[in-house]
Formats: sequence, structure tokens, C-alpha cells
Amino acid sequence: MRVVNFAHGEFLMLGMYAAFWAFTLLHADPYLTLLVALPLFFAVGWGSYALIMRPIVHTSHNVQVFTTVGLSIVLQNLALVLWSGEARFVRTSYYASVVNIGGAVLNLAQAVAFVLAALATIALFAFMRWSYAGKLMRATAQDRAAAALMGINTDRIYALTWAVGIVCVGAAGVLLAPIYPVYPTVGLQFVLIAYIAVVLGGLGNMVGALIAALIVAAVEVIGSYTIGTGWKEVLYLLLFIAILVVRPAGLFGERGAEALGM
Amino acid sequence: MKKLIAAGAGLALAFTVALAQAQQLKGEYKLGVLEPLTGNLAVQGKLHLEGYEIMRDLINTRFGGVMGRKLVLVIGDAPDPTAAASEATRLATREGVKIITGTFSSILCGAASEAAARQNVIYWETSCVDPRFTRRGLKNVFRTEIDGIGFGWYNIEFIAKYLAPRLGKKPSELRIAYIAEDSSYGQGVTEAARERAKKEFGMQEVALEYYTYTTNDLTPVILKLKNAQPDVLHHIARDQDAILFWRQAREQNLEVKAVVHAGATGYGNPGFGKALGDESNGPFALSEPGVGFLIDKLRPDGQKIEHAFREALKTKTGSDVPAGGHQLAAGGLWLLKVVLDAAKTDELEKFRAAVMKMDVPTGSLMNGWGVKFDETGQNSNERVQHYMLQWQNGQLVTIWPEEFTKNRAKWVPLGPWNQRK
Repeated sequence: MRVVNFAHGEFLMLGMYAAFWAFTLLHADPYLTLLVALPLFFAVGWGSYALIMRPIVHTSHNVQVFTTVGLSIVLQNLALVLWSGEARFVRTSYYASVVNIGGAVLNLAQAVAFVLAALATIALFAFMRWSYAGKLMRATAQDRAAAALMGINTDRIYALTWAVGIVCVGAAGVLLAPIYPVYPTVGLQFVLIAYIAVVLGGLGNMVGALIAALIVAAVEVIGSYTIGTGWKEVLYLLLFIAILVVRPAGLFGERGAEALGM
Repeated sequence: MKKLIAAGAGLALAFTVALAQAQQLKGEYKLGVLEPLTGNLAVQGKLHLEGYEIMRDLINTRFGGVMGRKLVLVIGDAPDPTAAASEATRLATREGVKIITGTFSSILCGAASEAAARQNVIYWETSCVDPRFTRRGLKNVFRTEIDGIGFGWYNIEFIAKYLAPRLGKKPSELRIAYIAEDSSYGQGVTEAARERAKKEFGMQEVALEYYTYTTNDLTPVILKLKNAQPDVLHHIARDQDAILFWRQAREQNLEVKAVVHAGATGYGNPGFGKALGDESNGPFALSEPGVGFLIDKLRPDGQKIEHAFREALKTKTGSDVPAGGHQLAAGGLWLLKVVLDAAKTDELEKFRAAVMKMDVPTGSLMNGWGVKFDETGQNSNERVQHYMLQWQNGQLVTIWPEEFTKNRAKWVPLGPWNQRK
């Protein structure tokens, strides 16, 4: 689609609120909520595409940036009005449980989120690579005009692509809810670092993004511990700049790959 | 002493006259209020606004308005420094206010007050604690709350004189670690505490770490603290970072003997207890009076306004336990009303002269505050009485100074996480 969604963090926030309200009102475990969240966020994604993205998907990048930034602000303030700015917590019975892996202590919810995120990445990769819909998405990304000439309904493919993206981030929100406080601007804490991982890995390269995310996390944590917490953002941003100077397309990207959807 | 007695008598007279005038307000007095009502700081901004609004209604209905006029708040949203400056300018130029109050955060008050100064408008700060705020030579700037240096002073006072004996150590034997969010608030308080702890008490500093408050992982800090093995952790948190730290500290089984914070944010925010429930037991937060505060220990004028505010708060919110944001905003607005009634004008020179003339003993105003401003426009740390609260079973309970409460600190030393019930 070649659209950078600046409201991605706010869809993450909505996923976190979905888990919170399901837990608070229905006593539903977040991992149970995940099953409901997948179709729910698919609908949210499809609806938001139809209402907001469809009219601007073929306009200039400037229009897309302003639209998604606007959507981000609207969603943040909608959450603020509806649910207040107060931090909420999903306190499951196992919220303080930890797993000890070779001396490293991890919160159980963190470990589960990591495993499920890794499985979701593999599933998404397989979907894009081998499913018919995935092939249509890649074909449309490579050449929209040619895809349309081959009879592909490119508008539906864009809607599907957008909806799949929202499903992924909605699911991430549900998985993060047992770990972090839930509040209207929580998405901002994650969106910058996620964008860095995507660009560092190479736009359009899923495996690259996954490896880059692990690199950024390692630099952040090791740098914080050895040099100082105040330096962690400096460190991974310096690494980011250095890599882009040497490889402008990112670690695993190819020049122009993002435009071709490779 | 004569000044103090005169000031006390003046306050009592103000109460009497105000009650008599309650129904005879002539015209309106517009006051600009700047708070972050959207964005990251909105939780505290809204608490402050609620405090202003409750006090405004009290002033209008029970205390004769401001200078005999009905007090009207003109509100501006200041989610960031740029918006704070532009809204301050709008309030001054479009709304025509002569005084602006606000803005809670140390990242906002500097920009807002600079903009107010350019419009020759008085800036009446009720919350931000950045020590630099009153040190810029601006004659239009006043602050009712103590600054970060005052926070640091109080915290070390509490650690050295209250905690150390209960931990069976001399202050010089205490191993103290400092962590803080890296804004002027966190750094200002921490540096003041470090200086006093080292110079006056010879405490052993074993760690110092600053972090960005929007961080989503504090594990590296916690691992460093585990290695440093402090007795006392001095932690200045801004908001969600307190919740994140506490939760991750439990996961990593970080054991310290006490955690001490200062301010209405972080551990001083009611959201900390709501998020963690009984898991929040233990940490201390220097703030305005909390649960168990003995109002009858205040001077008569202080008791009257404190009771009136808590009744109004209960009517509006259902709870008579104010949050720190309520108390800072309402306490600051009440003091502004007292100054304006004394000055009878908002013209800067006369207003400033009235502020400098005020000499009100501790215990006379809301929160048990007194008044004695210095030339920089800062109310004195000694007069702005503060209290140490502790999270006990979901409530911020007043525990120090002991003459203001019957509650006592629990979990000193903190002990294992599962035994803080």
C-alpha cells in the first residue's frame, strides 16, 4: 500500500483497552480475549479503511501522513474522553508470575507475548508467501496496474492488507495489556521503536524487521545496563543512523524494495 | 510575631467579611487557567482543573468571590510547552486576563510563564517544582508550592530523622540509591536530595540513574540496584514509570528497606494504588495531606478552609479525600484569592507588593500552608508544610510529621514482597 500508518500505536492502544474491558467487565482472560480480538480488529481495520483510507490511498504521501496523524490524535482523545487518562491495569491471577531462563527472570506474560508474537510472525509470513490472498497482496504491491489488468480487485486487496495490519497490532495490544499500564497515549511508547525496527530491517522485509527488532532490543537493554539508562535511546538511534548511512535500504532491504513490496 | 498575629487577624476578618458578602458579588473577575487536559499529562491536568473548579465555586458561594467579584475561570489546554506558550498568549491577548494560573508540570510552567511575561501578565504557579522557574529574574512570576529543592530537603529530613532510627542505623550508615525520571522535576529533586544527604548526613550514595519517564522497560535499572544493595531507594517518578518500576521490581525480587518519592505524580498519584491494589503497599510519597490527616491540628483559619474544601469535594466527587492535584490547585487558588483581596488590584506592582507583604504562619491556609514569599516569587519551603504519605492497602495514608496524624508507618523495613499485607 506504501502508506505509513502513524495511528498504528493508537490501534495498539485500542487492543490494550479491549483486553482491559473484557477482563474488568467479563472477567475474560486476555488470552481468551485474543480469540475475539482477531475478528474484531479485522472488522475495525476493514471499517477504518473504508471510511478513512480508501479516499486517500492514492493521494500524495503528505495527505496520507496528515490523515493518519489526525486519526492518531482523534483516537487518543476519544479514548481520553471515553475512559479518562487514568492508567488501568489488567491484573490477572498470574500477573506477577515469572519464568527463570538461565538466570534471566522474565514476566510470564512477557514470555507468552514473545512466543505468540513469534508464532504470529511466522503465520503472517506463511500467509503472505503461500496463501492465494497473500500472493494477490504481493502482486498488487508490486504493480497495482498490472494486478488490476489481471482481474485482481486491488481495492479489496488494499482493504485486506490494511485490515491484516490492524489485526496484528490489535493482537499485540491484547498481548501487551497484562504487562503494561493501559492509558490513551500508551501507543506512543511503542510506535517510534517499532518504526525504527521496520526501517532498520528494510521496509517491506518481514524477516528483516524481526531481526532488527531483536537487535534494537539488545542494544537498548545492554546499553542501559552497561552505560546508563539515559543513553539507551541515543544508542539505538546512533546504530540506526550508522546502518542507514552504510545501507540506506536497511539491513536486509534492497533499494526500492519498499516500493515493490518485496 | 506582631506581623504574624496581624496576618492571622486579617485572614479571620477575610473569612467573616467574605461570608457576609457571599451573596453580593458585583461583576466578574476572569482568571486564566492553563493545564494539560489532553496528551500524556492529562490525568494530573484534569485533577488540577477539578481542584480549581471546586475552589472557584467555594470562593463564589461562601467566601465573597475575588475582590468582591464573581470568579470566572477561562481555561486553556497546554499539553506541551509550545501549546502552553500559545495558550498563555491567547488568554492574555484574546481573553484579556491579567493573571494566569496553572500548569502542573515542570516541562510546561517555564514556557507558559515566559509567554505571560511578554504580555505583562501575572503568572501564578501552583504545582510545578522546577527550581529554575523562579530564578529567571521575572517579576511577574510567583509559585505557591515548594520547589524541587524543598522536596529534596523534606525527603532527606524524613529519611535521616524518621527512617534511619527505625532501620537501626545512623544516617551516615545508610546506603542510599537515587533513580529519577530525567526532566527538570526528577533531576531537580534528586540533586537537592543528594547534596543534603551527603553534606549534612554523610549518607553513602551507592547508585544514581536517570531515565526517560516514557520508557517501557526499567529492568536494567533494577538489575543495577540489585547489585548496589541500597537500604533506601530515593525514586522520583513522573507517572506510569512508578507502576512499571514497582511491578518489575517485584518480578526481579528487588528488596530494599524503603522507597521514598516526592510529589503528586508517580507514587503520589492515586492511579498507582488503583493499578496495583494491595501490591502497592509500602512506598512513601511526600505530598499534601492524605488519609488520616488531623485537620484540627491546623490553625482555625486553616481548619475552616480545609473542612469547606473537603465538604465541597465530597459533594462533587463522592470522596472527601483529595488527590494531590486537587490540593495543589485549590490551595494555590485560595492563596491567590487572599492576595487579591488584600491587594484589591491585579496591577502587577501593587499585586507584587501585596504578595511580598504577606506573612502568614504555617497552618493558616489549605493543606496547612503558610505564606512568606521571597524576592524571586517563591513561597518559602518552611511555610509550605508537606507531609509524608505511605501506600497502605490501597490508600495514601499520612504518617509524618507525627503531630498531624495518628497513623504510623508500616513495613519498615519493607521485607519480602509477599509479606507486605
